[in-house]
Amino acid sequence: MATRRSGEQMISLSIDGRAVQVLPGATIWEAARLLGIGLPVLCHDPRLEPVGVCRLCLVEVGEPKLTAACVRGAEDGMEVRTSSERLEACRRGLVELLLSDYPVDASDRPKTGSDALVELAAELGVDWPARRWSGETGEAPGSRTEPAGGIPAGDGRALDGTSKVIFVDHQACILCDRCIRGCDDLQVNEVMGRTGKGYQTSIAFDLDVPMGESTCVSCGECEKVCPTGALSLVGWEGPPNDAAGSGDVGWEVL
Amino acid sequence: MTTTTLLGELKKRGVKVRRRGERLLLSDLHGALTPELRAAIDAHREELLATLDGGERSTVRSVDSVCPYCGVGCAIRYFVDEAENRIRYADGRESPVNHERLCVKGRFGFDYTSHPQRLQTPLIRKESSYPKGPLSTEVRGERRRRSGGLVDYEEVLPHFREATWEEALDLAATRLVEIRDRDGSGALAGFGSAKCSNEEAYLFQKLVRAAFGTNNVDHCTRLCHASSVAALLETIGSGAVTTVFGDVQTADVALIAGSNTTGNHPVAATFIKQARKSGRTKLIVVEPRRIEMADHADYFLQINPGTDVVLYNSWMHVLIEEGLIDEAYIADRTEGFEELKAVVESYSPEVAAGICGVESGLIREAARTFGRAERAMIFWGMGISQHTHGTDNARCLISLALMTGNIGREGTGLHPLRGQNNVQGASDAGVIPMVYPDYQSVADPAVREKFEQAWGVELDPKPGLTVVEIMGGALDGVIKGMYMMGENPFLSDPNVNKVRKALSNLEFLVVQDIFLTETAEFADVILPATSFFEKSGTYTNSDRRVQVGRKALQPPGGARTDWEITCEIGARMGYPMEYGSPEEVFSEFTALAPSYAGLTYDNLGLTGKLWPCPDPSEDGTQVLFGDRFPTASGRGKFVPAEFAPAKELPDKEYPFVLNTGRRLEHWHTGTMTRRSRALHAIRPGPVADMHPADLEALGVEDGGIVEVASRRGSIVLPAVPSDRMLRGAVFIPFHFREAAANLLTIDELDPVGKIPEYKFCAVRVSPAS
Repeated sequence: MATRRSGEQMISLSIDGRAVQVLPGATIWEAARLLGIGLPVLCHDPRLEPVGVCRLCLVEVGEPKLTAACVRGAEDGMEVRTSSERLEACRRGLVELLLSDYPVDASDRPKTGSDALVELAAELGVDWPARRWSGETGEAPGSRTEPAGGIPAGDGRALDGTSKVIFVDHQACILCDRCIRGCDDLQVNEVMGRTGKGYQTSIAFDLDVPMGESTCVSCGECEKVCPTGALSLVGWEGPPNDAAGSGDVGWEVL
Repeated sequence: MTTTTLLGELKKRGVKVRRRGERLLLSDLHGALTPELRAAIDAHREELLATLDGGERSTVRSVDSVCPYCGVGCAIRYFVDEAENRIRYADGRESPVNHERLCVKGRFGFDYTSHPQRLQTPLIRKESSYPKGPLSTEVRGERRRRSGGLVDYEEVLPHFREATWEEALDLAATRLVEIRDRDGSGALAGFGSAKCSNEEAYLFQKLVRAAFGTNNVDHCTRLCHASSVAALLETIGSGAVTTVFGDVQTADVALIAGSNTTGNHPVAATFIKQARKSGRTKLIVVEPRRIEMADHADYFLQINPGTDVVLYNSWMHVLIEEGLIDEAYIADRTEGFEELKAVVESYSPEVAAGICGVESGLIREAARTFGRAERAMIFWGMGISQHTHGTDNARCLISLALMTGNIGREGTGLHPLRGQNNVQGASDAGVIPMVYPDYQSVADPAVREKFEQAWGVELDPKPGLTVVEIMGGALDGVIKGMYMMGENPFLSDPNVNKVRKALSNLEFLVVQDIFLTETAEFADVILPATSFFEKSGTYTNSDRRVQVGRKALQPPGGARTDWEITCEIGARMGYPMEYGSPEEVFSEFTALAPSYAGLTYDNLGLTGKLWPCPDPSEDGTQVLFGDRFPTASGRGKFVPAEFAPAKELPDKEYPFVLNTGRRLEHWHTGTMTRRSRALHAIRPGPVADMHPADLEALGVEDGGIVEVASRRGSIVLPAVPSDRMLRGAVFIPFHFREAAANLLTIDELDPVGKIPEYKFCAVRVSPAS
């Protein structure tokens, strides 16, 4: 969040009817956080620059369009609504789409990252995996199913087990870019990026080589920030299973 | 407390809680927890463990601690499976040091602590295994057909018998006393460890000084930054960093000199790279290897090995010539500028270009960039310090900062990146032969009297011997008995063939460690200690941040904490050392070390504090020396340095220059990291890096086996082409016993810092069939 400089005017806005003041440059998401309002989010992490790609933090600001709170700056006099039937329906729809080709076993993998996507589905009441696009589970990795309508889906995207410490399941990736920003902006290893177009878009290492053959230095930042288990631990158990899906790292289990 | 009450209490404190029957999942367990609540959580866990079936018994507890590896000192949360007494996984936590970031060692390298080869019982050398000498094939200096990674327990253990703690400690104390009483205190010496805590370091030097009766106590700081510290003490009166590495984000220019930062201080490197990427900070890298940091640099000067003095003298030449110096700062804050000016006069960039192998234009550009910066920081590593002119190298960097007024403000300063997790702390605690805790000179009668009163014994006024001098003493028979706590000089000291003879020559050697090290093969008594994870203590990072490492695991078998063992030996030598906890030791230490005044375990909390910390409700002092330096005159002193070449230059017979160092995935002599599954899997063995054209000229393919020989020894290992290397240069890491780089290195010392020249010796490379 922007730090305060003397003489700067605070911005006043209201969120769900509650007034809040923030510094110029603060986002709606940050303002909401000050009020203790946790907006659902998959692509954002306070340590990263927001990119607004998952759209789950959509809010109403009195404009015809919904806006993503993580990137939209707070404005003076703004009246923000963080929940409404319209917003809930949008979020449910988004999560349903993200899960439509999400492999059911990805959330079982050991991880220090979270299962925020699956968590969110439970919170929003999305009926998953029953409504998974292909309606099937457990296809052999590498196979591709072509459901009615000809839209490519299924489990065709690759698994990459070449790294000694991190397993990549491209099928579970929702392209939230958290790993890419973790690698490029936080650790500044600049190994990760995106490659491909359309449905073939995926995260990539160096010039799209397997992770284990790339210049990856195995710092684990990408795995730590991943919200879906697309990046998971190899050879470590991670938290016990009943803590997985908690949407946050660092669970003690009693 | 019932489950429901506990749940309510935790929720009230902002802890995220979920209930699954009687089981609870907790997150965000931060400092808000009171000790009572923590106890209630533990009690609940106990109750649950008693009722659960075997299959469900797994409970995981989080422990907020720090990383056991490098001087960056990242804050880590370990998740511990208590039933199985092992760490399940680790995660970075929020702290001013690392902001949740970790590197591969911190995140994946903790499992060595649960390795089955951990020592669990005291061992005594069998009568039949005398006279002493190396026991394993590699340590004897022979080569085996299969490549060996670790000390072969089957080969070494039969030479030792198990003993009780009583017997082993009695034997150790009796023999040390015997030598002391027969040959005098000067025949004894101790190597402490920069891996141990401040408390353990303090007790270790106290034992050597008060019970052994000698100042022959040193540790691996001698091998990393001894020359930097010598230069810093001489010029600005303090051996620690003048600002924290995170301050780089407010610097206009950062100079990285002789530091492979991404490999050796990876998390600190992320902040430097981030500052560069933000556009705020320009980055200048000076290195003989085109390291990864060079890929991020605005200016990269790939100098010939060992020519640092020439380069920085030429920078100073340019700065003076072009008026890019801070006249006011020089006048108000420094002394000796005229002498410096006279020396750098003859080092024009054109002269330097010929020696350093860098274009004079680039030298000028880089110097100007540094000189024009409003705020500049200097980071340096072993590439500066590990030379026979290491002190001179550091003097030049300090002069550069003084001349441009770059000490004492935010975004400016000197930051020698410290190697070990507690090398700053072990030095602060006095594991140095010339000084008591907090750098108080043993030769100063008033200081000595203070410590004599505190410790209740008469102390030796004579400064002790340093690491390599002690090894020399062992070889000459002057040093007869040694106590080594967590050091493995067989692999870490230069000229291993000489070390082998020296260790064999010791009349009595006690080795205290967590694994059977190469050095332990020469021991009479081996004492099994606890690892970092099995004890609590404080550790001081490169930034001067004192942090608490908290016990996460129970020690295996009969292993005991280092501090308890040290106290037991003291007591048996007739010098009682009785402490109930590390906290008690810490308060005794802080009472004698003004820099640590005011610090307690309680106020260190979860993220520690920087020393000095005049107000313990604050975080401590980030930037030092804003007004004056802690020197006699209060001024910073310019100490000019003339170029002197390395001790052993390449010639026809040995045409290559050997540089040694570390790889990202490994730590020093490999005892820890080679026993970590992930780190070993990523980097299982040694390779030598060489310029592709050199390898081609030798007719060696990528990965082909070469023999690398110096005047002192030879090793055989695969070589890989790397365009990051200069022609005529070889880089070999020193982690790997099967190709121990220190068989080749030269044991010539810097005359002031007494640090060996690990970064330069002449070698021959030939294809090995």
